[in-house]
Amino acid sequence: MSDTVQAKAPVLSVEGLSIALPEGGDRPFAVENVSFEVKPNEVVCLVGESGSGKSMIAHAVLSLLPKSVNIAAGAVTVAGQNPAKLDRQALRRLRGGEAAMIFQEPLSSLNPLKRVGRQIEEMILTHQKPMPSAIEVHERVQQLLTQVGLPNPKLLEKSYPFELSGGQRQRVMIAMAMANRPALLIADEPTTALDVTTQRQILRLIDDLRRDRGMGVLLITHDFGVVADVADRVVVLRHGKVVEQGTVEEVLRNPKAEYTRELIDAVPKARLDEIRRTAVHPTPLLEVIGLEKTFRVKRGLLQPPREVVAADGISLTLHEGETLAVVGESGSGKSTLGRMIMRLTEPDGGAIRFNGQDLRRLRGEALRQARKQLQIVFQDPFASLDPRQKVGDAIARGPMAFGTSRTEAMELARKLLVRVGLNAVAADRYPHEFSGGQRQRICIARALALKPRVLIADEAVSALDVSVQAQVLALLAELRQEMKLAMIFITHDLRIAAEIADRVIVLQKGRIVEEGATADVFTAPQAAYTRDLLDAIPGRDFFDQPGFASVTGALPTARMSS
Amino acid sequence: MDATRAFLRHPSGMVGLVVLLVVVVIALIAPIVFPVSPWEMVSAPFTPPGEDGLLLGGDTLGRDVAAGVAYGARVSLVIGIASAMAAMVIGVTIGAISGYFGGKVDLVLMRMTELFQTIPAFVLAILLVATFNPSLLTIILTIGAVSWPPLARLTRAEFLRLRNREFVEAALCQGEGTLRIVLGHILPNAISPILVVTSLTVATAILLESALSFMGLGDPNLMSWGFMIGAGRTVIRNAWWMSVFPGLAILITVLAINLFGEGLSDVLNPRVSRRRS
Repeated sequence: MSDTVQAKAPVLSVEGLSIALPEGGDRPFAVENVSFEVKPNEVVCLVGESGSGKSMIAHAVLSLLPKSVNIAAGAVTVAGQNPAKLDRQALRRLRGGEAAMIFQEPLSSLNPLKRVGRQIEEMILTHQKPMPSAIEVHERVQQLLTQVGLPNPKLLEKSYPFELSGGQRQRVMIAMAMANRPALLIADEPTTALDVTTQRQILRLIDDLRRDRGMGVLLITHDFGVVADVADRVVVLRHGKVVEQGTVEEVLRNPKAEYTRELIDAVPKARLDEIRRTAVHPTPLLEVIGLEKTFRVKRGLLQPPREVVAADGISLTLHEGETLAVVGESGSGKSTLGRMIMRLTEPDGGAIRFNGQDLRRLRGEALRQARKQLQIVFQDPFASLDPRQKVGDAIARGPMAFGTSRTEAMELARKLLVRVGLNAVAADRYPHEFSGGQRQRICIARALALKPRVLIADEAVSALDVSVQAQVLALLAELRQEMKLAMIFITHDLRIAAEIADRVIVLQKGRIVEEGATADVFTAPQAAYTRDLLDAIPGRDFFDQPGFASVTGALPTARMSS
Repeated sequence: MDATRAFLRHPSGMVGLVVLLVVVVIALIAPIVFPVSPWEMVSAPFTPPGEDGLLLGGDTLGRDVAAGVAYGARVSLVIGIASAMAAMVIGVTIGAISGYFGGKVDLVLMRMTELFQTIPAFVLAILLVATFNPSLLTIILTIGAVSWPPLARLTRAEFLRLRNREFVEAALCQGEGTLRIVLGHILPNAISPILVVTSLTVATAILLESALSFMGLGDPNLMSWGFMIGAGRTVIRNAWWMSVFPGLAILITVLAINLFGEGLSDVLNPRVSRRRS
């Protein structure tokens, strides 16, 4: 095979692809008349919101579509072959050989019962003919693990997936994908489940490998920040149709389609100049003093229990009408903090003072009364509504538990549903009839039904599409004003924190590493960790954010782009 | 209802349901078809099937085997369903308390459950029935008392899975009481597997009752399948029909309930039913 000829032809071309959905779906085609190409040494981003059909296309490329959907028209060509027309043998050679794929959730893509070294070996052994010797394979595994930047490959190849962190697992997945030097790498939301700093490392790794090997990359994402950082060309999808495609510069600087513009506008941009400074009341509404919490995970009989410090002397204050963002990566203890304030998780030590009483001393009825004034909105809008309870009931239950009559409570529920932007008739429907964003609105309505004074939003918009995210954030900002709510906004996304908060607390391993007014934290971060976090925000260069300039200037070497 | 419609399309589940309905109808119309008591001697002893107007023959005392099978269906169904209900009430209560509260309560209740699980159910049942006078009520309670541990374990597991779910925590934050949370939020979401296991418990309860009656520990006033097999067992070489027909009745009924239970399980398990549709 002559590489020079191959290098010019696209590694992937999708021409007029239409994928039919089974009858009774919400639309006849998952994707309709989609055409694009991926050339060698090129990163093409497929961008769209959930349900836009972007993953469908990726699955069609490797002929992984579920049985109930099939290609209605058009063709996919991967390295000169049409996967839909290949027999099983040839298809197996293509998958993991010419074209490799990595997925969003690395934990569920790895076999939990096999050491990662074995899993990579398997990848090589199924594809290399003639079968290489055991020593060669082993060397190759070591080499791959080193290439994907994993420390101590000798130890690592003997680990099981559960022993690795999310970022390490994704690196192992990438090593597997790289095992047979594919011409095309398909990455389906490879960093969505990862922290920002890890995200940046993984994206950089993919970018480096791409450049080393001249590989074509099809990157599927919903995040325009990621697009701005790594893509050469962009394909914007909506409802299965291509809305716009072109180079990054064209599409992001001068979007032609209205929809693309909306999506780009919806990216939280930390408009620091718009931030309001509220007049602070002298006495805080909520005061957390020296909160401690350590989780002990039992291991084997003889091993000492593993300790995870979730809170190590956390103190904070929250005033009426103020919004405090708690930011940090997964495992920093930010969700535990919210749960401890709600008394859903019992702290080991410290005090939580709300309106003069110590919440930690409250039991039974007194706790119930206090909880009424503190409400929480959870991250996953699908898990936080009882699937067997009508939406109206879900909202009305709270007031009813405090003695409001059913008719009055239902009246309030309908009013709240309208207030959060839904229809009053939604009250008689079940949660599964609503989309993620709508469900989150329902959860907000439920939390507000008890007229709380403090609202804790635990990653409340993280599971939503960007455009929906922007709407829900706007709603929260309005409600905050209207009901004089104090808010604790827990998030891993610094852009969102900057958008909504008056003050920010940065958590790392259960400790507050930085605390201050939003503008100060974002423009003049004191802690190195805060700078790392800020620097890892995807698309920083592109969405030139007013306040961020100084950080970027201060740390030019730590940047992602070439 | 979606589940009902899905069940109607489930082949083996429907077979089970239809057979079960036939058994229920037989039990219901038994006094109409056989106006004479099954204890009444209506022909010569050892009448073979088909002779003397007896469809399934007569037993050692000349009692109608067909009447016995029909009346036995009433006993088996009543005992099977009632004792499964008893087992469900005991098992769900213990499992729910154990799973929801956890900690020491859980420890004590689960050790107690294990105690019941380690004693063979049938031996315990014999012991209990022999201690109390065998009657319909004591048999039902006995079978209930030995059949609840699997239900308790299942309920506990479901409660453990659900009690930390966000919608339960949301209800807690909304100020709803413990009982409301358990009955209104957790139990409705845990009920599907509990129903399935309860339906299968009906089958084992029928078998237990038959075994007890076979050993002569049944209610002496009730003609049951187990009793008939027990009475006919000594003469099985010259009069097979006395044990075979009630035996077939047990086999068919238990099989039907198992098919129904499995069908229910497939339909109520969202992952399986979605794959089907």
